[in-house]
Amino acid sequence: MEWIALIFAGLFEMFGVAMMNQLNIERNWQSFVLLVIGFAGSFLLLSFALKTLPMGTAYAIWTGIGASGGAILGMLFYGESKDWKRVFFIAMVLSAAVGLKLVS
Amino acid sequence: MNIHWMKVFISAIFEVLWVIGLKHADNFWTWTGTFVAIAVSFYGLLMAGRKLPVGTVYAVFVGLGTAGTVIAEIIFFGEPFKVSKILLILLLLVGVIGLKLVTEDDEKERGAS
Repeated sequence: MEWIALIFAGLFEMFGVAMMNQLNIERNWQSFVLLVIGFAGSFLLLSFALKTLPMGTAYAIWTGIGASGGAILGMLFYGESKDWKRVFFIAMVLSAAVGLKLVS
Repeated sequence: MNIHWMKVFISAIFEVLWVIGLKHADNFWTWTGTFVAIAVSFYGLLMAGRKLPVGTVYAVFVGLGTAGTVIAEIIFFGEPFKVSKILLILLLLVGVIGLKLVTEDDEKERGAS
């Protein structure tokens, strides 16, 4: 359960960062509200995950999902590079995360 | 040392503090401290990101934050030292840092800002 919360915490973080970039493009209140929801949701879910999971593991995975998710989002919606090196590192992050779940 | 990299280092320290807070805070003061740490960390990172390459800043910050959290947990909170866990976290870090650094290279080559 806490693992699912952790994954969604990372996704909410990714969403918050996307809204931050969106605000740079267009300053409207909708994006700001979504940004707040993104980051607030991220911390709430991370806090829940941290009740049971070790800090180092949870923080690393949360960061990893945020970074990978952000990169994937960029590739899908913002025309960012799909260079094999980026895909490779994203795969590395996700494998490490799965590995951490397995050794816990 | 460059003052901007000092900001990254200090932000990382506050990052470790708020992660500890998020897990262990249990009263008004510790929760307030946690939120202050979040704000300081975020602000410091933002300031550093204005003067230094953003991707590199983030990569270093995440590396320091993760290492700091793992070490703090082992030293102060009695988390057992498991080689497999440390190695996997290291692998994850290499992934995040690699991703940030290649992305920066790509953007430089394509002439993006």
